[in-house]
Amino acid sequence: MLTGIAAPSWALAARTLRNILRRPQFLAPLVLMPTLFLAINTGGLHRSTDLPGFPEVDGFLDFQLAGAMTQSLLLGGVMQGIGTALEIEGGFFDRLVASPIPRVSIVLGRILAGTAIAAAQVVWFLILGAVFGVSFHGGALGVLLVILIGAIAGTGFAALGVLIALRARNASTVQGIFPLVFVVLFVSSAFFPRALLEAPADWFADINPLSYVADGMRDPIISGISATPVLEGLAAAAGLVLVFAALAVLALRGRLRDA
Amino acid sequence: MTRSTAVIGALVRRALNELTRVPGAALPGVLAPSIFLVGLSGVFGEAARLPGFDATDFRTFIVPVGLLQGAAFTGAATGVNLARDIERGWFDRLMVCPAPRVTILVGLVASAALRALLPATFLLIVAFALGVDWPGAGALAIDALLVMGLATAMALYAVLVALRFKTQQAAPLMQTVGFMAVLFTTAYAPMDLLAGWMRAIATVNPVTQVLDGVRQGFVAHVTWAETWPALLATVGLVGALGALAVRSMRRVGV
Amino acid sequence: MPGSAVEVVGLERTFGDFRAVDGIDLAVAPGEVYGFLGPNGAGKTTTVRMLVTLLRPTGGHARIAGFDVASQPGEVRRRIGVALQEAALDLLMTGRELMELQATLHGIPRRGVAARAADLIERVGLSEAAERRVGTYSGGMRRRLDLAMALIHAPEVLFLDEPTTGLDPTSRSTLWDEVRRLRDEGTTVFLTTQYLEEADQLADRVGIIDHGRIVAEGTPAALKAEVGRPRLDITLARDGDAAEPDADLAGRAIAPYGDLCAAAPGVHVSLRVESGAAAMAPVVRALDEAGFTVEGIELVRPTLDDVFAEKTGHRIEGAAPPAPAAV
Repeated sequence: MLTGIAAPSWALAARTLRNILRRPQFLAPLVLMPTLFLAINTGGLHRSTDLPGFPEVDGFLDFQLAGAMTQSLLLGGVMQGIGTALEIEGGFFDRLVASPIPRVSIVLGRILAGTAIAAAQVVWFLILGAVFGVSFHGGALGVLLVILIGAIAGTGFAALGVLIALRARNASTVQGIFPLVFVVLFVSSAFFPRALLEAPADWFADINPLSYVADGMRDPIISGISATPVLEGLAAAAGLVLVFAALAVLALRGRLRDA
Repeated sequence: MTRSTAVIGALVRRALNELTRVPGAALPGVLAPSIFLVGLSGVFGEAARLPGFDATDFRTFIVPVGLLQGAAFTGAATGVNLARDIERGWFDRLMVCPAPRVTILVGLVASAALRALLPATFLLIVAFALGVDWPGAGALAIDALLVMGLATAMALYAVLVALRFKTQQAAPLMQTVGFMAVLFTTAYAPMDLLAGWMRAIATVNPVTQVLDGVRQGFVAHVTWAETWPALLATVGLVGALGALAVRSMRRVGV
Repeated sequence: MPGSAVEVVGLERTFGDFRAVDGIDLAVAPGEVYGFLGPNGAGKTTTVRMLVTLLRPTGGHARIAGFDVASQPGEVRRRIGVALQEAALDLLMTGRELMELQATLHGIPRRGVAARAADLIERVGLSEAAERRVGTYSGGMRRRLDLAMALIHAPEVLFLDEPTTGLDPTSRSTLWDEVRRLRDEGTTVFLTTQYLEEADQLADRVGIIDHGRIVAEGTPAALKAEVGRPRLDITLARDGDAAEPDADLAGRAIAPYGDLCAAAPGVHVSLRVESGAAAMAPVVRALDEAGFTVEGIELVRPTLDDVFAEKTGHRIEGAAPPAPAAV
């Protein structure tokens, strides 16, 4: 049964990736905006590392990099959601449903495409960081861990995007979700150490999976690899994938039932 | 002369229609600066403990950024609307009527100045509710002037982009530049605390002067010494971009 | 020609290497309806955009109501009304609001704006819909509003770019009546169209354009007469189970009565005749004697499409619309 799902899923994933690569102008906002934010935050607040309670870092950029990655991954999820919604509106989705491929593959295809793009996004920021002097204390293994956590988290966000698209009526609704990305990120430790967040953001940050994802990607960069943050990051990312992918499949079934 | 004001008034009224007739459209732009204010101060609030902030809390420090962001976004929206009008052929109608091109341009951007007051007002209400101190009526008057001025400058820039590319797909170009213009300044920290490269950009960026002018009432008192550079920068931006925009309008169709 | 409403000499417009308009000369007398006829892509819209000062010519010059479009655009704009291909309307505004905005844009004094707007709305029959948003108007209503907006300042010269494309026959007929009325009132009308019927019915003179050049110009009657004589299109009946009738044989049988020409689509043989209907009887007799049964015979007068085909070797794309409902 699994092989029956795998092949069409890969095929659909490949198709999604091809379409995206043909129009790179849609990729640019995914990395450009978080890069801009990264530059602004770093340029403006780099002295925050002087604050008592700030973790030991070589520079504020080293700290911020994981936050930029998390933001970029979230935007990637939104993009997958918009893409899915447009496909539904355009009728391609109906054609997939009418074909003999397993229903699950329709959702999995796009989610897997999200994995590939997520990995690319993380790599971009790693390269950017290296160019601007970030040293990766976790070494090569650390870098791999960062990519791993990022790819899994990005998969989860893609699943979330697909979920929203399946429940929403049209693409502009999904686009309206986009500002929420910022809100959810603000109440996490993506951009600033949890210990230094003001109330009530600190409370939200403790229960926000994004905090753990960001911290998990951050640890291998700013210090040697420590078990707790990395494992927590992996767990949070994996949790996102499981929950949202399951919900997405349920939403697909629900949609097909109602149709 | 009265005919010119009539034309400008009519075009402004048309632009404001969108606010009243498509109520949901304006909402994101109005809410966004407030959301950023709350979010950013929640995240970076502790940074204000750094020496150099002079005991100002972070939220108060970044309220002016929100005011100018609202202005920038409103200005960009004017350009996006123009791009849409160009795509739909409405702009041809404006170009074919006998009204002078300068008058039409003023009519197009004047609404931006007025519309910018919406997110600004909303932001101030939120800020005061969260405990930011009242800066005084005089300071707010100057702030209103500077916000309207920056919105006009941004609208002129966005008009230039719209006339150049003639498509709504140029919207990100309008929005991103506005965004960066406001944030590559003393947005998040005073000049001394900025990283070297950021300080260099902020020094040459005229919007820094505007930002400092808006900020003075919130962090200290309004002084002429802080105000005149802000006014000069605003007038300079409006003048330079305005001249370019007029030239661009006159050359439509060439 | 002094006193022309529209005077064009050597007008050119190139886009990079592409010559959209390749040297056009024409003159339209005041109060005349001039039809600019040609297939899609011929350069009609580009020409109109130059005449209404939306596009600068890259060669030649044009004068509208005595003023040069390149050097005196302001004066030209005061005297022209324009209704372009896409009815360019703000869908959020009501008809009345749009008309009043247009009036203000054209410098009509504040006191007179409301009255003038109301007059024109009434003229095009939109009084009942005036307070509704334009987004709710049908295509025909939008085109009428577009026309009313073009007339707000009582222009000397009215430019209509494909005014009835996409309209239903009734709306088309209404618009044609309005054009005739405008002509009677003394407005010069320059209209572009891809519909032969429209040019034939409305225009005092027609200019046929192809690939950026005028290939023929004159009154519709003169142009058609130039192409020549009417044509008999003959369809022959089959003989029971027999194969297709021998068109060549039939052609030889009737050749003495006119000039054989290429058979029109859908018929077996076509013959150009001098005397129109009078030639029908002898032709039918000749075919009968040759053993053919005539299934259908039609006398086809030359159309502007024939003029076009004669001059350019191909036909205008876009079929002529069905004749408008008799009003």
